[in-house]
Amino acid sequence: MNKLIALVAVVTILVPIAIQAGEEGVKPAAPPITGTQALGLGPVKLGVLPAPPVPPDNPQTARKILLGKQLYFDTRLSKDNTISCATCHSPTMGWSDEGPTSKGIAGQRGGRRAPPASNSAYNPLQFWDGRSPSLEDQAKGPIQNPVEMGNTHAVMIRTVEDIPGYVEEFKTVFGTGPITIDQVAQAIAAFERTIVTTDSPFDRFALGDEASLTKLERRGLEIFNGKGRCTCCHWGPNFSDGRFHNLGTHPDMAKPDVGRYEVTKNPKDMGAFKTPTMRDVGLRPPYLHMGNEKTIEDVIVFYNKGGGLKDKNLDRMMIPLGLSKGEIDALVAFLERAMTSLNPEVANVKPIPASEMPQ
Amino acid sequence: MKKIIIILLVLIALPLLAPTPGQAIPAFARKYGFNCMMCHTAYPKLNDWGQRYRDNGYQLPAQQGKEKTVFDSHTPIALRTATGFNGYTAKPNKDASSQTTGGFGLKGLDLLAAGVLHKNVSVLVIYTPRIDEPTADYTGTSASQPGALESASIIFSNVIEDALNLRVGRFEPAYHLFSSKRSYYLVSPYDVYEYPALGGNYLFGDNQIGLEATGHFDMGFKYGAGVVNGTGAAPDNNKFKDVYLTLSQTIGAGDGQSAGHRIGAFVYYGKQPMIAPIDTLGTMPPPVSPTGEYAGCDNKPSYRYGGAASLNWKTFNLAAMYMRGLDDKAFNVMDATKNYEYDGGFVELDYAGMFNNRFVASALYNWVAPPEYDDMSGKLSAYSALVRCYLGDWTAVNVALHGEYSYRKLELGETTMTENLYSMLVDFAF
Repeated sequence: MNKLIALVAVVTILVPIAIQAGEEGVKPAAPPITGTQALGLGPVKLGVLPAPPVPPDNPQTARKILLGKQLYFDTRLSKDNTISCATCHSPTMGWSDEGPTSKGIAGQRGGRRAPPASNSAYNPLQFWDGRSPSLEDQAKGPIQNPVEMGNTHAVMIRTVEDIPGYVEEFKTVFGTGPITIDQVAQAIAAFERTIVTTDSPFDRFALGDEASLTKLERRGLEIFNGKGRCTCCHWGPNFSDGRFHNLGTHPDMAKPDVGRYEVTKNPKDMGAFKTPTMRDVGLRPPYLHMGNEKTIEDVIVFYNKGGGLKDKNLDRMMIPLGLSKGEIDALVAFLERAMTSLNPEVANVKPIPASEMPQ
Repeated sequence: MKKIIIILLVLIALPLLAPTPGQAIPAFARKYGFNCMMCHTAYPKLNDWGQRYRDNGYQLPAQQGKEKTVFDSHTPIALRTATGFNGYTAKPNKDASSQTTGGFGLKGLDLLAAGVLHKNVSVLVIYTPRIDEPTADYTGTSASQPGALESASIIFSNVIEDALNLRVGRFEPAYHLFSSKRSYYLVSPYDVYEYPALGGNYLFGDNQIGLEATGHFDMGFKYGAGVVNGTGAAPDNNKFKDVYLTLSQTIGAGDGQSAGHRIGAFVYYGKQPMIAPIDTLGTMPPPVSPTGEYAGCDNKPSYRYGGAASLNWKTFNLAAMYMRGLDDKAFNVMDATKNYEYDGGFVELDYAGMFNNRFVASALYNWVAPPEYDDMSGKLSAYSALVRCYLGDWTAVNVALHGEYSYRKLELGETTMTENLYSMLVDFAF
């Protein structure tokens, strides 16, 4: 009986500890995921994209979107008038760049490649390390990054204020008053919320058009959602959990990129990077946050081995997959074509010629 | 006499003819929109990811607190059953003619409910309802599946990160280094799990009621330790609780399920009571508890220990287990001067092929060797093989065409009995 009492006592003590441990298990991440941005708790099933979330304080308007598009393609926002948002987030490169990592002003190379701007409206957090809670906040970052656009917010605002066409545009969109960095960011974010790819062969398949996927692509989809275990991170309509994982991409580097750890200072986040969307993935090689893998097949082979197994902080979900050559081929077929969007309003976005920019 | 032997053989075979589907939990797949092969090499056998998911209290590995609870997701209920043809042929000795029986039937049914209640608090309930038709012995006199609460446990995960997780209730104990519940074999999984102890109600393969602590570490080390009644589903009739410890180490990536390799060892120690005292008039004493328990008396020890290994190459998995059992001589009706000692084990080779592992083939050798003087239990050698072909699509691969054959040889003193069991089933879950 004494043992029984002791057993009950142990359970009674440990249960609250377990619950409390759970509550304290993840240190507060900065910044928090807001309600409108959160993909929600998941995983959830793959499917078609809903309308992107729009923050109440930055409603979409046609004029604001146009202004945002002009700013997005305008190299005058950079220190030496050579770099725009579109330089690294190019519509011709799947809204990323040719890599392997992104090139900023004066030919400087960043440590990471540009994450795609397409469908970024669905990301709970922006940047590879999630340091930004919104598109509006994100848009401010590269302008003053010394490796990217190399400018300052103040200088950039003065540049815009010196362009009468922009002054008129800002006045139309935001009313009278000085142009602010927040307005610039809001306009760019509004444009980015229109870069949404909703019409891929997968979407058509998900809506009932079975002929939109070939037999090989259907097999690839099954592998993606099954033995390939891709959906354990690339889930939901945007094929991304919006979370951070360490794939062991650079265990041998002398000074490896710490990734999410830089933001949270949580040792568990060491070397972890945000899961990118798989939509239009075939349009933007090379892959992973440093562009380590040249082709989709290379990435799958990397995962098939279990990722970078030497990394001590390797994500628990990284395990060798045991995929055969045929299964890899099917997965490549699915990702390269079936995930590529057919949206003309996104695919046909062209850089705005300098002559058509506000003067 | 011959008829009696045959009837006895059929009765012995009844459990084999009534396969229980075991565990595969489509409620989880439905919750996430995952295909079954996310967690299973091919259901019901777990792959490494599925094993880590289970180890983390049915939460994605290292993602606890970031998923829906049972209150926010689909009704977390699933069902698994198998239906088809089962056949059984027995030959009591080399001179006897074969006796054959068999027929179509609905074999086994699991109702499963599982999910996350709160962060790091999960639940698993498996109920197997009573099934009367068609009865396993085709006579209409007994149930082919008795009603039972196979599992009903609550899991507290990450009490101390990965190092301490707790299960309370009725659960599959961690010393099952290979799960018979999640074996491909529906008719004849691991015989040594089902070898009956001479005294008490302890059966190695049973789920147990109690408390279990488990932990896993980055270097691939795992432990499991528990305190249980040791009586399966039967009332606990002694004051001693049984204890066990199991340790395993993974070598390489994965958990040794389908990637990497794993070795492990376990020991189980318990005390089983002798039968309840019967008074001089030959009547049982009144129960000592409202649940019908009788006071056990004269508790005697029994223990089991053994080791296991799982090796993987490509999509082949070689699994082997050895177990030795000992029951106190007080239980030994053959020779009361000796402890009753036996051993057994199995070697299994599985192959998963075709795309998304839609084809599985397996060969299994089981043996159980009682002491030589025991010519009632018999020395068992069983050779089994199966193939499974899976049907489904990208959302679920949840229908398996299952063909299984088993040849079993039982040496009973000078007599050798042989049995052939074969099944062609459709095994499905949703």
